[in-house]
Amino acid sequence: MLIQFILVAVIVLIVLRLIYQLKNKAIGLWQFFSWLVIWILAIAVIWYPSITTYIATRVGVGRGVDLVTYVSIIVIFYLMFRLLLKIEKIEKKMTKLVRKDALKNVSQNEKNK
Amino acid sequence: MKTLVLIPAYNEGSKISEVITSIKAIGYDVLVIDDGSTDNTAKISHNNGAVVLIHKVNRGQGASIKTGIEYARDIGYELVVFFDADGQMKADEIDKVIAPIVSGESEVVLGSRFLGSAKGIPLLKLITLRLALLFTRLTTGLKLSDTHNGFQAWNMVALSKIDLTQDRQAYASELLQEISENKIKYKEMPVTIVYTTYSKTKGQSIFNAFNIIWDLIIKK
Repeated sequence: MLIQFILVAVIVLIVLRLIYQLKNKAIGLWQFFSWLVIWILAIAVIWYPSITTYIATRVGVGRGVDLVTYVSIIVIFYLMFRLLLKIEKIEKKMTKLVRKDALKNVSQNEKNK
Repeated sequence: MKTLVLIPAYNEGSKISEVITSIKAIGYDVLVIDDGSTDNTAKISHNNGAVVLIHKVNRGQGASIKTGIEYARDIGYELVVFFDADGQMKADEIDKVIAPIVSGESEVVLGSRFLGSAKGIPLLKLITLRLALLFTRLTTGLKLSDTHNGFQAWNMVALSKIDLTQDRQAYASELLQEISENKIKYKEMPVTIVYTTYSKTKGQSIFNAFNIIWDLIIKK
């Protein structure tokens, strides 16, 4: 089916980008391989949808597509939660930095008076 | 007591000189925390005799207050007054607000516009504040007549007991929670809050209440 070719093409592009990032040392080796495994699994599932149907019936879900949807949503929510925490952490660090800078500069101003 | 009036300001260039002058006139030191303003707030404040701390990036009112507190502690102030930059509050009420702290009667004084007067308060604002009051009562157990009133006075001993983690507007609820948890001796004092056209455009939108509640739940 056409959709299979499109999805796989997109994933191949993503993987190429991943390799590029590894070369530029933007990501570590471990991170590279975990993403690679995820995308290879995605290709496998796209190419042989019967895999998910098999697993789905095993765990008691009717269709393979449904199982993929459920798992995806959980993963996305988890990633979003982690992102929120990360952003929060960055915001805190930024405030600290801005505060430190403000306090440092005032002491300089006072000295210059 | 060595007193500092702390004013967080974000793009208040058109109003802040009036505010600083009126406080200076009654003899208090003024600290302005310019929270990443894009106008000339810092310069005007400096020219009017305030000490100015500049946040290079906007971090919110809570973050500004905390920066001010750290400065006050470093310099050795014993009493800190929180004051707004938009001209809503009256400088000549500062003496009255700090009096219970100077006399040792309490550690914190919270301004209350409902014991005092809230001139020209918009109806929606009134309703939001009433709901916030209920929220405060439920979450902190404090029986207050006003909440999220920026006009407050703290002695340094009480300030050193608390830790502010909220950068944005939710810090006001956090202050009350800290008062409740640390059993800090507080007192409410009637103050006048004047709602002008300027302060209404500058003040926070009532929809920010949702952000505050979200911050309080998520960031704890």
